Amino acid sequence: MKKILIVLLICVVSISSFATIKLAALMPMTGSVAAFGRMIYNGIELANELFPTVNGEEIEVVLLDNKSDKVEAVNTARRAIEVENVVAILGEVISGNTIAGGAVAEESKVPMVSPSSTTPLVTQDKEYVSRVCFSDPFQGLAAAILAYEIMGLDNTAIFIDVEQDYAVGFANYFKQKAEDLGKNYFYEYYKSGDQDFTAQISDAIAKNAGAFFIPGYYQEIALIASQARQLGFYEPILAGDGAAVPETIEIGGDAVNNLYFTTHYDPGAPNTTENAKLFVEKYTEKFGEAPGTFTALGFDTYMVVRDAIERAGSSDPEMIAKAIRETVEFPGATGFITIDENGDAIKSVAIVKIEDGEFVYSTTVNP
Amino acid sequence: MIKLNKKTQFFLTIIFIAVIILLLFTAKENLNSYIVRIITLIGIYGIMSVSLNLINGVSGVLSLGHAGFIAVGAYISSLLTMSIYQKEAIFIIQKVIWPFNSIEMPFLFATIIGGIVAAIFAFLVGWPSLRLSGDYFAITTLGFAEIIRILALNLTSVTNGALGLKSIPSYTNIWWAWGWLLVTVIVIASYVNGTFGRALRAIREDKIAAASMGINVYKHQLITFVLGGFFAGISGSLYAHWLTTIDPRTNTIGIMLTFNILIMVLIGGLGSISGAIIGAGLFAILSEVLRFFEEPIKIFNFEIAGISGMRMLIFSALFVLIMILRPKGILGRKEITWNNVFSLFHRKGDK
Repeated sequence: MKKILIVLLICVVSISSFATIKLAALMPMTGSVAAFGRMIYNGIELANELFPTVNGEEIEVVLLDNKSDKVEAVNTARRAIEVENVVAILGEVISGNTIAGGAVAEESKVPMVSPSSTTPLVTQDKEYVSRVCFSDPFQGLAAAILAYEIMGLDNTAIFIDVEQDYAVGFANYFKQKAEDLGKNYFYEYYKSGDQDFTAQISDAIAKNAGAFFIPGYYQEIALIASQARQLGFYEPILAGDGAAVPETIEIGGDAVNNLYFTTHYDPGAPNTTENAKLFVEKYTEKFGEAPGTFTALGFDTYMVVRDAIERAGSSDPEMIAKAIRETVEFPGATGFITIDENGDAIKSVAIVKIEDGEFVYSTTVNP
Repeated sequence: MIKLNKKTQFFLTIIFIAVIILLLFTAKENLNSYIVRIITLIGIYGIMSVSLNLINGVSGVLSLGHAGFIAVGAYISSLLTMSIYQKEAIFIIQKVIWPFNSIEMPFLFATIIGGIVAAIFAFLVGWPSLRLSGDYFAITTLGFAEIIRILALNLTSVTNGALGLKSIPSYTNIWWAWGWLLVTVIVIASYVNGTFGRALRAIREDKIAAASMGINVYKHQLITFVLGGFFAGISGSLYAHWLTTIDPRTNTIGIMLTFNILIMVLIGGLGSISGAIIGAGLFAILSEVLRFFEEPIKIFNFEIAGISGMRMLIFSALFVLIMILRPKGILGRKEITWNNVFSLFHRKGDK
């Protein structure tokens, strides 16, 4: 029995070491933000199925779960580089963990591309860490333009989730643009996991809020929206890409109708690329539902890295890192992606409205 | 039972430490940096579990506030070692306040200051709340740790709020981690094995009996608590400079960390220093080694997809198994000492 096992083991090892170009996907597949990790990985997997080769070599994606934990984010990045010998890393998902893993990538000079970390600190002073999404300063600007210029609102109540770096950063840039425009705003605070927001909402109503802006995650956005409607607040509610998941509608129900949010992508947006059409078609075929924003970002992360390997013409991590930052107008699923010399993607922000329980594309704010 | 004389024991200990240093040196030179980082993490977890074991296992009060002291040590030391330029760059919402905006100091001093500040916090918490006993004390310390975390979230001009600190220089290497572990073990072991430690054990077994024998229960427990807090602060500093970034999330420096350390202590054996280190080692190694179960398995042309989260199931199952087979942890209250090791071989030799 033991001998058979050993023979089997050798077979397994020898077969699994055939692939030539290795990429690692560092994803939170379990833990608090597993939902995002799973959506993004679906996109990476789909892209890998559709485009499995580059420069005539096969691409293998190694998935490493970090259970949404910082210590594991560091360990998996090390493991990807030292044990799996990958040429590039796809991930991490949330900003705090991308910063932790990014320090390792930077030290080992291996490129890392995050699908969804929007905090400016992620790519600050980094040569090897890039992202395919826009960063908070730009999303904050776009949300403020939406609120104050497109919709003509004033005196916005900004609901800040003090536990989330994403929400704190995003709100800060919204505030800056509001100040530039000479508009009014005030803060209301809550934290992730809160269930009851009536105190903050009543306070905001008493201060005559012209609109709510909630730069947090879907759970709280949906709860705040429904409690606000119950308390008789009928002014517009705005949110960021944290609302871009079907759960917002599932939890919020009728209350989230007429909610506007800024996001990376919407399948209904005009001038989509060939890859976008292919992505929507194949995803729907495979999973039987329309793809979400984060899945599209996962797809693009893989595509951008593959494109960079193709242009670099080699699997040398340093050359790939350089090629990633030379990405210009790459036709991804979320639109045309250009990555600047700081590693940030310059992309337009899509504005989506919820109508009768459906996401409806509204307009686009360009950089 | 064999009793070795003090001189032989001391000699053996020196040889043992030398062997460990040699092993660490070979590991650092020959193994890849992934494994070296895990070994470093064992050292850091070791300090955390040995210091929690001192409070929970030896003095017998149940503290759930360890992550609070670790957080204090981590934040203070990181703010001291980070370069002034970095601090200016990352505090994007509010500027960092004096004196942190103009200080930059070496790792060793920053770590010690981190430990001392954590010890001061331990004194401030322990002074009123050690008058409580049992569960009430546990709740107080739990609350304290949460207060520290909430402060870190909201004192934006000191801690950068929810954004956390990043670009902390990665000073923690295998020598710092294991060197501090050695210091921790020497200090705590000599403390526990002295008169003071015997008094602590008496308190642990029966508080009233100990008090009636003239032992000042409150004073002994307070000193132990402060000492535990000091080493928690030290481990926090090492932890922050190992991660290179910290934030006030529950699984970075919050309640989840306390529970993880508690697991290490209980697995190794509550009340045993060597057990705490074994527990820390198991915890750090298993969570990486078990990754094997999540990898896709290819047998010829069949590919079985890996299931994410599988290793956590096996991890927990293993710990449940250990708790069933050895309810008092792997070592129980025993220590690995030279006397115990030799008696073990001797007994085997007889058979």
